[in-house]
Amino acid sequence: MSAEFNLISELYDKVLVLKTEGYINNTGGEKIAGEFSKYSGIEKVILDLEKSKVVNSIGISYLIEVIEKLSQINGKMVFTNLDPAIEKTFKIMGIFQFAEKAGSVDEALK
Amino acid sequence: MKVMNENVELEIKLPKLRDIELVADKALEQMGSYFGIPYDKIGEARIIVNEAIINSLEHAGEENPFVHVKFIMTKEKLIILVSDKGKGFNPGEIESPDIKKKITSNNKRGWGLKLMKSMSDNLVIESGESGTKISIIKNLI
Repeated sequence: MSAEFNLISELYDKVLVLKTEGYINNTGGEKIAGEFSKYSGIEKVILDLEKSKVVNSIGISYLIEVIEKLSQINGKMVFTNLDPAIEKTFKIMGIFQFAEKAGSVDEALK
Repeated sequence: MKVMNENVELEIKLPKLRDIELVADKALEQMGSYFGIPYDKIGEARIIVNEAIINSLEHAGEENPFVHVKFIMTKEKLIILVSDKGKGFNPGEIESPDIKKKITSNNKRGWGLKLMKSMSDNLVIESGESGTKISIIKNLI
């Protein structure tokens, strides 16, 4: 068995919005990091996890990779529509020291 | 799945296949629904279980590429038992990850044990040359 993972990307100037659907495991995480690496000059990535209710730490390690690249250019990642357990996971890992969260994509775009 | 008055027990033997942890994840979701467990609590339990299974499958080795998973759930509590017959590891030798170091490190992995410990109410790891057993209690209220 394998989990389906879909990614929709939208570009607004220097802001990349990535909307995920499905399990963020190594495959999902790799797709997110791969999509980010297609663009140059991105200063903000909004990662909308409304349709991702399951994650694992291997998938999250790819998100840390994106956060690292963004922090090198004073950019930032903003998570939106976080499931409570995923938000707690990020808190435990200390991810909010380097990334932000918002209630919705519109809020994060402001 | 054995259903009793106040307990639901489930035992599964998972082979080493991609995303196989989702089988246990779905079962846990179903058991949580049966008892009406709050969404956030079952979500945390799912994170623990996924990490425990992924960790065990990594250590299970090729001779016995299976992980045994057992859940005992009541309305108040979930007991999670995950075991493998791999070569084992010394949990005391595992360094707790620090995001400030990980963010610049080439190895950004290694969060499983920290997540399991932080999300659970009790965690015991017994590991030796003949395998590893992880016993976890997660309060659900």
